[in-house]
Amino acid sequence: MNEIACKIRGLEKSFGQNHVLRGIDLDLAPGQVTVLMGANGAGKSTLVKVLCGYHRKDAGTLELGGHPYDPTDAADAISNGVVTVHQSIDDGVIPDLDVATNLTLDRLTAPGARLFVRDRQLRQAARKVAEGMGLTMDVRTRVGDLDVADRQMIAIARAMARAPRILVLDEPTSSLSAAEAERLFQLIDRLRAQGVAVLYISHRMSDIRRVADKIVCMRDGAISGIFADAPLDYEGAVSAMLGHAMTDVDIAPQAGTAPILEIEAMRLTADGPKLDFTARDGEVVAVTGLLGSGKTRLAEIIFGLADAPEGTMRIDGKPYAPRHAREAVARGVFMTPKDRRSNAVIPDFDINDNMTLPFLGAFSRLSFLSRRRQRQASDDMIGRIGVVCQGGTDSILTLSGGNQQKVIIGRWLIEPCRVLLLDEPFQGVDIGARRDIGHHIRETARGRATVVFVSEIDEALEIADRIVVLHEGAVAGEHVSGNIDLGLVVAQVSGQATGTAPGQPGTGVGTEGQQHG
Amino acid sequence: MGNERFLNFAIKYGFLILLAGLVIFFSLSTNGFGSARSAVFILQSVAITGILALGVTCTLVVDGFDLSIGSVATSSLMLSAYAMVVLELSAGSAILLCLLMGAFVGLVNGLLIVKFKVPDLLATLGMMFLLIGLQRIPTQGNSVATGMALPDGSTAEGTFSPAFLWLGRHRMDFFLENLLPVPVVIFLLIAVGIWLFLGFTRQGRLMYAIGSNERAAELVGTPVNRYKIMAYMISGVMASIGGILLAARLGRGDIASGTNLLLDSVAAALIGFAVLGAARPNAFGTAVGALFVGILLQGLTMMNAPYYTQDFVKGAVLVIALVFTFYLSSRRSAGGK
Amino acid sequence: MLRRNLLKLAGAATLTFGALPAMAQNAPAPFDNPGDVKIALVRYLSTGDFFQSYLSGVEQQAAALGVDLRVLDSRQDAALQADMVDQAIALGVDGIIIQHGLTESMKAAAQRAVDAGIKVVAFDVDVENDAIPQIEQSDYMLAKLALDQAIADHGDDFTAGYVYVPGIAPLDRRDVAWKEVKAANPGITEAAQFGTLDNPIANAVANQARSVLQANPTINVMIAPFDEFAKGVKIAVDEAGLSQDIDIYSADVSTADIAAMREPDSAWVATVATNPAVVGEVSVRALALMLAGEDPGHNVVVPPTLITQDFLNENDVKNMGELGSKMPQFQHADVATADWIALPAR
Repeated sequence: MNEIACKIRGLEKSFGQNHVLRGIDLDLAPGQVTVLMGANGAGKSTLVKVLCGYHRKDAGTLELGGHPYDPTDAADAISNGVVTVHQSIDDGVIPDLDVATNLTLDRLTAPGARLFVRDRQLRQAARKVAEGMGLTMDVRTRVGDLDVADRQMIAIARAMARAPRILVLDEPTSSLSAAEAERLFQLIDRLRAQGVAVLYISHRMSDIRRVADKIVCMRDGAISGIFADAPLDYEGAVSAMLGHAMTDVDIAPQAGTAPILEIEAMRLTADGPKLDFTARDGEVVAVTGLLGSGKTRLAEIIFGLADAPEGTMRIDGKPYAPRHAREAVARGVFMTPKDRRSNAVIPDFDINDNMTLPFLGAFSRLSFLSRRRQRQASDDMIGRIGVVCQGGTDSILTLSGGNQQKVIIGRWLIEPCRVLLLDEPFQGVDIGARRDIGHHIRETARGRATVVFVSEIDEALEIADRIVVLHEGAVAGEHVSGNIDLGLVVAQVSGQATGTAPGQPGTGVGTEGQQHG
Repeated sequence: MGNERFLNFAIKYGFLILLAGLVIFFSLSTNGFGSARSAVFILQSVAITGILALGVTCTLVVDGFDLSIGSVATSSLMLSAYAMVVLELSAGSAILLCLLMGAFVGLVNGLLIVKFKVPDLLATLGMMFLLIGLQRIPTQGNSVATGMALPDGSTAEGTFSPAFLWLGRHRMDFFLENLLPVPVVIFLLIAVGIWLFLGFTRQGRLMYAIGSNERAAELVGTPVNRYKIMAYMISGVMASIGGILLAARLGRGDIASGTNLLLDSVAAALIGFAVLGAARPNAFGTAVGALFVGILLQGLTMMNAPYYTQDFVKGAVLVIALVFTFYLSSRRSAGGK
Repeated sequence: MLRRNLLKLAGAATLTFGALPAMAQNAPAPFDNPGDVKIALVRYLSTGDFFQSYLSGVEQQAAALGVDLRVLDSRQDAALQADMVDQAIALGVDGIIIQHGLTESMKAAAQRAVDAGIKVVAFDVDVENDAIPQIEQSDYMLAKLALDQAIADHGDDFTAGYVYVPGIAPLDRRDVAWKEVKAANPGITEAAQFGTLDNPIANAVANQARSVLQANPTINVMIAPFDEFAKGVKIAVDEAGLSQDIDIYSADVSTADIAAMREPDSAWVATVATNPAVVGEVSVRALALMLAGEDPGHNVVVPPTLITQDFLNENDVKNMGELGSKMPQFQHADVATADWIALPAR
């Protein structure tokens, strides 16, 4: 452990006036998984981008195995053995090509590659790589046709194919199911045994507990804590990251008053089971379940993006059957979609415009927008929900993920609504921002029904008065906050409603012990 | 840090400074360039392409494109001539007919794109060919002018009404007598109108939102399809206005493909991306872009430069503008995260 | 538009005199039985008034002769035009008129037609073949006549603006006359040369002309040897309020041009033109002579006519039809004629 694969000393990086990295000292040892924790905006992403050659450093030294290292671009970093799997999946794959080509793309671009592609050889090589990763799909499938999780696995598999010395994983499990995440962890175990230095960036405590050999915390562009002694001090790491100790979530459960959204005898798919669901005024309901449990589909149906084959919906007792988002919004049903980069953020707009987008009508007279009124509303919301920015005229892209998400959620809190739907609101959001958002949602919950769709049970615990577990289009269970049998929740999520199931792939229950075998 | 500030300054004002530099250069090196009349000439020479460019800007804002504007303009040119010379309609009805035609073409373009999912370039390309052919059918490929023979053997007795020609030829008093031609006034009015619409209205803001992230705009309840169709209809109407002014200036219905009108106005809109470092379509930039090309061409013509150098210069300006827009802006935004 | 006028007249003539051309019986073979004679017109350029009018002349003369005319139009596709010659050969035509085209692409195709025993004439394209007569409107003469008129009006001492785009064959031939006139008259100065073929041409030329007028206030004569150029220059002159001070001399004519020349105080004082319909008629007649075994000569030149603003005003000419009837030398060229060839009815 005294050998050092990558040595970082005094690393600095600024963007304009924004001093993002203020002298980072960090060592990555071979055969060790170093977890990097930090709230969004702490500088994690920038550090990664310097390592993988996307940004040039301003000051400081980088060494790889004792040799100076200053990558000029991504290709240079890769040829030095530093391989990165980015958070944004589609950066890592070419959706229009098949799995085989994706897995072997580097061979095609390597110097001395043959002019003609030998498909059969390629597929054989690809199959080998896929098997090594435990991937079972046909290598001739177009990557664009795969689901998110499989695409992520392909992206990681591609990185593996380059035989990295240093592997950087930037929130790799954010779109993986528990079983797939476990496959990834096994892979990391194997790489660790092979002596690869792994830098692992994540917000998920369950991931961190599973893989970390060492935890490094960042805050405001500097290292705020290093935890290397077993057993790792997770509580200490979290408080080093946040600057204060994490207190247990304490929720005073609200039962809610009159029902607002009522769903009766609805089938999510043509041959699926029937489902009933009610959300009441003032309560926050979390809907949780695995990928494919129907939770996304339910959100889409309520917001008018998909049709239910059967069933009725009512809002405040009146029939409700939206044909598109516009009708849903008109009836007071608002939704922040998941995957904010493609579904919610307007990249060309500043914070003010992004924040006020749904209600521009309220800020205009005779169609002419009042910049002042937009700014007032947006500044007000920035303050209330705690967006960290210089001002409302900052481009939304200058914000960290968590702060972007605050803007996107804030946009729907400007006007009162009947039903607020939040689909995966904590995707790519650090713990600090997540608590801010959760706190604000709960605080404003009165006067509407709030439904949060999350796959992480600890996220559900943190925000909800009531947790509804979906499994294959049916309600597998309901739990009221404050009195939750976590084991039962996990069992219901995984479809084994009778008793807990030891050895079942973990679902990332933050407050419970590890379940991974 | 100083470097960064310089870069930002260059992105923001570089193009305007280049424009001012050109004006000074031409004023010093040719006689007669630096005068109010010369300025008006430039405005007049860019008025028609400028109006078309403002239309195409609206489609660029919603991340679309309209290749049919050139042929919409020439169709409108033929239609107005046909309406007055052959059908002997009044100026008012001829204009109305042209505007309706432009709006209808825009509507069809929009429907092809949003309902039938034809990619914008292909839909409007098809429309372009269709119109180039269609405008020639009623006159069997001939130009329209008073006295032309009609298929039934008679001659066309109608004339361009003075009220119509006024649109293309009248000059208004503005400080100097007979200074401002009507097309310039119309161009300036439209430029201000589109500028206000895109920059300061709710509808304009939503159109930019659609152009930047269509899915996100849809998920906040924007009627995306309606706005897209509207953008193409604006583009069609602008092109038909351009055609009307062209007809009023020429005083006859010349057959022409309008390809140069299309290319010049698209160039103006793209150059507009670079103005003030906007890096996106905007009405002010488009107007400045059109002016930029006009100033260059006027200056070069005054210096007796042959016609092929003009295409070369247009191309060079466009390339520089695109570099400004995409390279420098991407370097600047790399500063974000 | 001329074409329709003529069609109407031809229709009337046909009704009056019966379907058969009057002198068919006395004609030499194969015109003793003209219905069996097949000829083809293979076109390169077809869009625009000039080409429409040319086509109508060809159709008129073919109808007057009673021969079977096929029109093949390649729409500026040089390769297609060559293929169309082969197509005509395959159709078994007796004669081919090649209208415009590129020497490089048409030379071999024309030779193939000649080898197949087909008579060929070419209009405005040099196919470098001794067996193929050239039908020409004399572009040189067009420009020369216009310049002579300018000298007659202004003497040999004036300042001119000249509109020209090099590389376009007819314009290049017209340019020769201008160069000669300049060399012969040192008093004539060319203050500016400009020009563009961006369409609409008149609009683009107007923009340029205005800059030129602004930069060169001494110009009093504009030489615009192409009517689209002249239209553009006229717009610029009108817009600059100089229509009293500048005279425009051009080439080519159309109904719209006549209207423009006759506007009150129009600066467009003269144009020189060959009637494209007459050129079309001459093309067919030359081909007919060859088919009958006679020799039209290697160069068949259709002479141009000077048309002045004064003439148009005095005779109250409003369109091409009236121009033809008021100016007989414009309506008919005494070129490539024979007793047995019926002229189109007028």
